[in-house]
Amino acid sequence: MLVVTRRAGEGIVIGDDITVKIIDVKGGNIRIGIDAPRECKIYRQEVYQRISEENRQATQWQIDDLDAIAPNPTHKK
Amino acid sequence: MEKIQTRFGEIEYDPANLLHFPAGLVGFPNLRKFIVMPNKKQGPLFWIQSVDDSDIAFVVTDPTNFFLEYKVVPEESEKNMLKIDNVEEYYTLSIVTVPSDHKITLNLAAPILFSPKSNRAIQVILEDTTYQTKTPLPS
Repeated sequence: MLVVTRRAGEGIVIGDDITVKIIDVKGGNIRIGIDAPRECKIYRQEVYQRISEENRQATQWQIDDLDAIAPNPTHKK
Repeated sequence: MEKIQTRFGEIEYDPANLLHFPAGLVGFPNLRKFIVMPNKKQGPLFWIQSVDDSDIAFVVTDPTNFFLEYKVVPEESEKNMLKIDNVEEYYTLSIVTVPSDHKITLNLAAPILFSPKSNRAIQVILEDTTYQTKTPLPS
């Protein structure tokens, strides 16, 4: 992993179209501003990892279990 | 027709009917092509089988079967990925986690949007949401 030291107001550029800027540093929190193309999705790491882990768990199912359950749809109003 | 061996046996499919995830799924960026498998019992749950990794399949459902108010609106860049122009042309699916105790949960925090017209689908992450990755069915 590349490690660089930056101060508030400074930034880094990733490739041609992503800029990450340190907005300010206050009491252990760092505010970061990111400029990236719209199609480039940006997520908090823990959120991304939670979804990734849920997807992984969702692959661990058995056909017998699926056949055994028959949830009833909620009745539409 | 083509065939693949999956952990559920051999599946025959028409390559023209595959569901395409141009960006894969979250944590599975290389899974781009899926076969849509119907539920034998005509119930609300069905599954999608990966063609790229025959060990991987996801149970999915239309979440509005259970959560009447649930609605996800794609952003502009997401509409581009789905190749849709207006919001009438897409459907929402939730990935279902099926544990061995049968207490299934829906991942309402990261729905799949898909367009039947383009056969394209994307998984989106709803970041500022109270929806949970493990949402039990309403009792």
